[in-house]
Amino acid sequence: MPIQHITGRAMGEFSNKMGKIAAIGFGTEIIYSFVIIICCLMIYFGTRKLYELSLYKGIKYFRVSFLLFALAYFSRSIVKFSTIIFNDHSLFGIHPQILASISSFIFMYLSSIAIFYLLYSIIWKKFNHKIIHYSFYILAFMISIISISSRNLLTHLYINLFLLGLAFAIIYAANKLTKKKKTSNMYTIYLLLSTFWILNIIDTFIPDFLQSFQLLIYLASLGIFLSILYKVLTKIGS
Amino acid sequence: MKKRNRLEIIKDILKIIQDNHNSIKITPLLRKSNISSKRFYEYIKELQNKGFVMKIERKIKITKKGMSYLEKYSSIVGFIEEFGL
Repeated sequence: MPIQHITGRAMGEFSNKMGKIAAIGFGTEIIYSFVIIICCLMIYFGTRKLYELSLYKGIKYFRVSFLLFALAYFSRSIVKFSTIIFNDHSLFGIHPQILASISSFIFMYLSSIAIFYLLYSIIWKKFNHKIIHYSFYILAFMISIISISSRNLLTHLYINLFLLGLAFAIIYAANKLTKKKKTSNMYTIYLLLSTFWILNIIDTFIPDFLQSFQLLIYLASLGIFLSILYKVLTKIGS
Repeated sequence: MKKRNRLEIIKDILKIIQDNHNSIKITPLLRKSNISSKRFYEYIKELQNKGFVMKIERKIKITKKGMSYLEKYSSIVGFIEEFGL
């Protein structure tokens, strides 16, 4: 048998395997993104009545963070899908690389602000200044610009580790400041949510970094979001 | 006596109105609400702006939205406590 036929057959088998892997990954991504976006939107709209009646700032920041999570996840989906589906083909004349860069910026910006607002929702009483809101937007913008423009993956990793460290510090401080220990479970959940969110960000920008743990991270993230949704729905209904 | 927060004071004011057949004169409401007159008028203005109460002649009347706040009060407070907000 000529060598070209053997090589071609091997390449064909390899392509089939990669196609199957890509199909499994693509299906998982769709389900994962869909569930997270729906959870976040249900939390946002489910708490609308509570906020309208109380105009309580903590509820406002909590809702806004989940709306931003939903939008960030939508942007993340575009980043993932544009690289899988469109590959070298442009969409509406936009090269997929440009589309991915714009979506990545939006994803990074929205997810940073979402994390800031979730953390702020538990400490706003102690730090109630407008300048803090402006600092969120400025910091998120800087993080997004550095993430997109930096070609060094380590820079991206350090930025996200910084975000995670900040989340840990704020949640720890908030837990210490509160006198009501029964809410300490929520702080654990916020901590886990921040952790898995950061891991999702790392996964988006450095896909091979967490490849072995990707499914585990997805399942854990889904579990966290679903548990928050369950708590929200039970409290609204009570 | 434990200090009441804003949501609790609003609940107490609306509850007083509801317990008086959904309508009460300002002076007895001020007396029963147990807050200073300055703060009382600030709260009444806020409640009017939010549509929780209406001022009809010299009486304060609770609205449907005000009733809704009373119904949802325990959910609101429970939600805030549950999530540490």
